[in-house]
Amino acid sequence: MATTSVSKKRMVRINGCVASAQAAKYADVDVIAAYPIRPYTATMMALAQMVANGELDAEYIVADSEHSQLSIAHGAASAGARVFTGSSGVGVQFAYELYSPISGSRMPVQMMIADRTLDPPGDFGSEHTDALSTRDMGWIMGWSCDAQEAFDNHLIAYRIGEDPRVLLPQMVCQDGFFVSHITGDVELPDAGQVKEFLPPYKHPYPLDPRHPVSHGPQIMPEQGPPLQLERARAMEESMAVIEQAHEEFEKIFGRKYDPWLEEFMTDDAEVVFFLQGAHAVTARFAIKHMRDKGLKVGMVRLRTIRPYPTDRVNEVLSKFKVVGVIETNMGLGSVSSGGSLYAEVCAALYESQKRPLILSFMAGMGGEAIVLKEFYWMTQKMVDAQKRGKIEKRTHWVGFEE
Amino acid sequence: MSTKGTRIPDWLTVPFAGITPAPSQEKGQDLFPTGNWRSIRPVYRDKLPPCNNACGTNEKIQGYLDLVKRGKYLDAYALIKEDMPFPSVTGRVCYHPCEQACNRGQYDEAISIRAVERFLGDLGQALTHDVVKAGKPNGKKVAVVGSGPAGHSAAYQLARLGYKVTILEKSPKAGGLNRGGIPDWVLPQDVLDREIERLVELGITIKTNCEVGKDVSWDELKKNYDACVLAVGLTEPNSVRAEGENKAGVLYGLPFLRDIGMGTSKVKLGPRVAVIGGGNTAIDCAREALRQGAVEVTMITVEANPKEMPAVPEDLHDMVEEGVDLMHGRAVTAVLGNGKVEALQLHPARFSGAINASPITVDKDAPAQRFAVDNVIIAVGQHASLAWLPAEFKNERGTIKIDRFGRLGDTKFFAAGDIVQLGSGQPLMVVNAVGDGKRVAFNLDKVLRGEALQPRTIPIDVIVDLNRMNMTYFPHFPRVQQTLLPPVSRRRTQDEVIQALTEEQAVEEASRCFSCGTCNACDNCYLVCPEPCIARPERSNGLYKILVDYCKGCRVCIEECPTGCLEGVPELDFDTGVVRMDTAFAISPGLHGRQAEELRKLGDRPAKNI
Amino acid sequence: MATIEVQRQILPILGSPNQGARFYNPELPSSEPFVPGHRTCAGCGPSIQYRMTSKAAGDNTILVGPTGCMYVANSSYLCTPYNVPWAHTQIGSAGSFTAGVAAAYEAMIRKGKWKGEFPNIICEAGDGSASDIGLASISGALYRNHDCLIICYDNEQYANTGIQASSRTPYGGMTTFSPPGPLVPEGKKLFPKDLARMMAAGHPHCYVATASVGYPIDLMNKVRKGLNHKGAAYLMVYTPCQKGFVYETPRSIDLGRLVVECGLYPMWEWNPEKRAYDYSFRPASMRPVSEYLKLQGRFGHLHAEHIASLQKFANEQWRMLGVQLPEALIQAADAKNLVNMASAAQAEAVAQTI
Ligand SMILES: Cc1cc2nc3c(=O)[nH]c(=O)nc-3n(C[C@H](O)[C@H](O)[C@H](O)COP(=O)(O)OP(=O)(O)OC[C@H]3O[C@@H](n4cnc5c(N)ncnc54)[C@H](O)[C@@H]3O)c2cc1C
Ligand SMILES: Cc1ncc(C[n+]2csc(CCOP(=O)(O)OP(=O)(O)O)c2C)c(N)n1
Ligand code: SF4
Ligand code: SF4
Ligand code: SF4
Ligand code: SF4
Ligand SMILES: [Mg+2]
Repeated sequence: MATTSVSKKRMVRINGCVASAQAAKYADVDVIAAYPIRPYTATMMALAQMVANGELDAEYIVADSEHSQLSIAHGAASAGARVFTGSSGVGVQFAYELYSPISGSRMPVQMMIADRTLDPPGDFGSEHTDALSTRDMGWIMGWSCDAQEAFDNHLIAYRIGEDPRVLLPQMVCQDGFFVSHITGDVELPDAGQVKEFLPPYKHPYPLDPRHPVSHGPQIMPEQGPPLQLERARAMEESMAVIEQAHEEFEKIFGRKYDPWLEEFMTDDAEVVFFLQGAHAVTARFAIKHMRDKGLKVGMVRLRTIRPYPTDRVNEVLSKFKVVGVIETNMGLGSVSSGGSLYAEVCAALYESQKRPLILSFMAGMGGEAIVLKEFYWMTQKMVDAQKRGKIEKRTHWVGFEE
Repeated sequence: MSTKGTRIPDWLTVPFAGITPAPSQEKGQDLFPTGNWRSIRPVYRDKLPPCNNACGTNEKIQGYLDLVKRGKYLDAYALIKEDMPFPSVTGRVCYHPCEQACNRGQYDEAISIRAVERFLGDLGQALTHDVVKAGKPNGKKVAVVGSGPAGHSAAYQLARLGYKVTILEKSPKAGGLNRGGIPDWVLPQDVLDREIERLVELGITIKTNCEVGKDVSWDELKKNYDACVLAVGLTEPNSVRAEGENKAGVLYGLPFLRDIGMGTSKVKLGPRVAVIGGGNTAIDCAREALRQGAVEVTMITVEANPKEMPAVPEDLHDMVEEGVDLMHGRAVTAVLGNGKVEALQLHPARFSGAINASPITVDKDAPAQRFAVDNVIIAVGQHASLAWLPAEFKNERGTIKIDRFGRLGDTKFFAAGDIVQLGSGQPLMVVNAVGDGKRVAFNLDKVLRGEALQPRTIPIDVIVDLNRMNMTYFPHFPRVQQTLLPPVSRRRTQDEVIQALTEEQAVEEASRCFSCGTCNACDNCYLVCPEPCIARPERSNGLYKILVDYCKGCRVCIEECPTGCLEGVPELDFDTGVVRMDTAFAISPGLHGRQAEELRKLGDRPAKNI
Repeated sequence: MATIEVQRQILPILGSPNQGARFYNPELPSSEPFVPGHRTCAGCGPSIQYRMTSKAAGDNTILVGPTGCMYVANSSYLCTPYNVPWAHTQIGSAGSFTAGVAAAYEAMIRKGKWKGEFPNIICEAGDGSASDIGLASISGALYRNHDCLIICYDNEQYANTGIQASSRTPYGGMTTFSPPGPLVPEGKKLFPKDLARMMAAGHPHCYVATASVGYPIDLMNKVRKGLNHKGAAYLMVYTPCQKGFVYETPRSIDLGRLVVECGLYPMWEWNPEKRAYDYSFRPASMRPVSEYLKLQGRFGHLHAEHIASLQKFANEQWRMLGVQLPEALIQAADAKNLVNMASAAQAEAVAQTI
């Protein structure tokens, strides 16, 4: 019989998908719900092998759809199990119905997303639209930018979501291909570290025949608002828990993450990129390059979009003259007529005394890498705006404009 | 922070994530009583089954059949003994009016009630100690004159009520017609003996060879006892008033059978015997004649065909099976022969009236028929012998005059049995005598205790309409037949003709009973209620309860009650017990707060035993 | 870490309520997982089914309720009638949510996180859920053979949304999505999806059976057989809905018998060991479909030819069960021998005016 076995701390070279699978194994998940769709499939493939090898003792369920995946996860979490599921692209959307019920019933289901474009274009590249479209459903959500961070975020997310003060599901996202399929150094922890960091899952009122309760009964209209308010409160109160979890994580594992924003070369920056996920890696490289050229450019990476750190975003971005939002998502007909991140940034800055100029860049779409030349191009647009004191055009389709 | 400064008012407090604790099994979801949806309320109301109603002593037939179904024989025996002192006897001899009334008769075949009764009676006979005990002595003495079924029953009930009872019986053996009328091959003597023993066990004194009017006087009875029941029966045979009836070889049914029963018979029958009469006594005589050595027995009746005969059809059938010939539409107009009967003179005749009135039309103008016989047994009814009774208590029928409580004027004398029922329209039979004896005993008790005698005034709902029951629950099922001795072997023996049911057969037959109108705890209402709001702490009639706070009045239970016990009563007929609210549910302050609180304390609740 | 072997419950099969001529229900468990105090209509068939099913299952049970009447009307206003754990799930999640609960218990017991015998895990899906929107999820759960029982309480329509046609709605059944009109005098034109046979054919390793509230002990025993079967089981239960069928409430159980006696709801079991149907169930009598139809307002508009179509359909069902058809039923499939339903003329008249 299989029993979950984790060894001593060691370094391995694995991709994001496998890192996610490893994290699930370290979390000793009880139930896994899988359904194939690239690119996140690799995570489920790795988990299938672990279960087959007897390295992980879990129920591995090949669901009949993403809708079922999420429902299985919902049912299993309701029964008191720690569950892991995931998806990509249209798969994320096929399951759409379940996002609100899961958070509404306060089940800390964890879902791994390796982003993929929706249809069309339906290619395998990363666009964040899949996960972002679910962003207001009451899930804790954020992107990692490499395999190590992906691994870490899974453990941190479980800890946050399962905290009795929170009890919310989490979407742990990584860019398809850029993270999911690019190998990097990952430090796998010692089992004891994980044990210390992540207490066993215990929902206070699971479906237990010894303590019968009813989950999700029908309500009267006036009973809706208090329940919604409670869910909103949990989301807000999770912020403190998120911070605590990151501190604790640093103490135990020695890796430090700002839970909300990663700032890169922002000390004296006048223009900054604002983005999520894997393009941060190329952005860091480009920024160093541009700094050599004397451009005062930096980067702010959003690590957690739900709950959204409005005040932090306001405080940090108010320091700069121009903010260039790299969207990597589609918001057709949205505020910026490009992506949906723009509106989130603008809204956070609305009350700022020193509001920067804000540009939206449709870059990295369809899973294309954002190349150095494009970073230069975008920086130029920001610098131009800074000089002009106002923006010339709100949204740019990078690579399609002079 | 959007939620900062927010507060959920008490009246809207909801449990965490809307997760609600389970309601209790006992109380139901009391936040949501649905009882006021109802306009018709189901009510358990047992009705009288027709069998109980038809039984002369109102045995709780449905009740004991139900107990037999469940294998509770002793309880069944105890139940039957409330109304019937000797089920072993009636289980053999009763003309079973209950079976004629049985609802199952309309459906396929009536329940073989008598056979089950005999099963219980025999079970009782085998007990070393009877389940029935004498009542706490009340110091009062009662005389019962006559030890036939009526006297037996009255004495039995009085002993149970605590009276010191003495039975005065003129015959050498107790039992009345049970012994001196009903033949052994219907009712073996030892069965009767055992039942009489039971009376003695109850503390009853039986004085045989003690005739009132001869050994004890009317005044002595009055003086020596606090009260008295006269159950003297009809001891004298009727004659056919035919010429030459006094010839040797002419016998009368009653003494013929009585002497055989008492063991004092000296009769030697010739090979050819005629029996005059078409009733049950005549049948017994004819069949007994075969057993007494007759070769050819002919029954001569005025009735035109077997159907008109005032006899129990089964017995008639058994008689014919044993080889008795029937001759219909004839009356004996003379007994021919030289000192001794040699032949009968017969004329065509017709029976044209009620059973006891005997208006017979004889066509004397028609040519007479001669019918050669060696003996003739006349069995055309009997009458009373009441020379000892003060005239004021006699009536024009030659029986005892009583009021509707069975009392002789305002004396402490009561009368019961054939002696009051002859000509009253009541068929003369053992069970009617038993019932009469029982009722009279109860009235006697009331009189002695100075209680008012209450006639039954409440109309009783006898359930005879099968539409009031749910017949889908009753598959057609044939009646269990009692086995009979083969006709040939019966002819020369006193062995019992009808055989007892085995235990399995008794249960099988009892199981056919519909339990008309009376709950038999089948659990169906309990099982089909959609709410479910029928509580049943234990499974027994009388313990089912409709939780009126919840019942929506769908009437599924009523429809699905096989027995018709449940019925619907308009809600407006009740003035208590209904939840009345403006709506079935209204949020009142703290309603869900209570749940929230309960949920928080869930962990403190003891774990449910699963 | 050693794994713990999962212990499973075996529920005894109840004796027949008919012992010889006697009708007397067998001893029933005393626990009441489903208690009064809920908002289902008076006489609700699905509720009757719920009562029987949960009683058969007992206290070590978890119920899953996809959206439908048995969720909305039962658990209204945070007042729940379930005395065992119960969870609402989405209408399309019947099989999947249930599978999740079952998988969780497999893992939790095996890993020592929950101690006790494996609970009965029962999903109570409506026919809309089971035959349409949740079909795939149920098929998935059956296919993967989770140790659970999925019940379709078949009220032959989407009741909770106000009576709409589902793929279980019978031919001729009037619903708000299949109203009769001059062009469609019969109302629903299609015959119902044979969902139970689909489940048996597609998941032959599962215990599959049909049942009806008209036969409570049979129903309860099928529930127990389904639960005792190690692996997935599927039960299809006829449950009349007085609101949609339009009948007098006391008839709920009676309709449950009539529908079987009329051949419109064949009763059978699929034996996964023998891989064979068991057609031995025989109702007390066989009747023409009109006896069933005439009690329900939803068929009031039918003409003789429509009734004949339904009779033909019923006759086919009898044949499938291997039952010899009595002449009367063959005759009843000929419209010449039939009369219109009482309100067919009125229905037509009303239809002409709109
Ligand atoms: C031959 C025959 C067969 C019958 N078979 C059946 C049958 O199979 N089933 C059935 O249901 N019914 C049968 N009956 C009818 C039934 O027996 C009577 O209706 C019933 O016995 C009446 O009971 P009783 O107590 O009123 O009178 P009886 O049984 O006649 O008892 C009266 C008793 O009083 C005694 N007695 C009379 N005068 C005095 C006195 N002055 N002092 C002291 N004692 C006295 C008599 O000796 C007798 O013992 C039969 C009747 C006859 C005649
Ligand atoms: C995804 C989705 N689509 C539609 C509905 C609307 N809806 C609620 S109840 C219901 C009817 C369900 O019918 P059925 O499963 O047969 O159960 P019943 O109401 O008949 O008990 C529907 C369609 C829903 N809740 N969810
Ligand atoms: S069926 Fe039973 S209760 Fe009904 S009349 Fe016959 S014996 Fe009596
Ligand atoms: S259904 Fe059965 S238990 Fe209920 S009242 Fe009728 S006889 Fe009694
Ligand atoms: S079945 Fe239940 S709800 Fe319906 S009338 Fe009877 S007790 Fe009331
Ligand atoms: S509409 Fe039908 S299924 Fe729904 S509660 Fe009413 S009777 Fe039951
Ligand atoms: Mg339905």
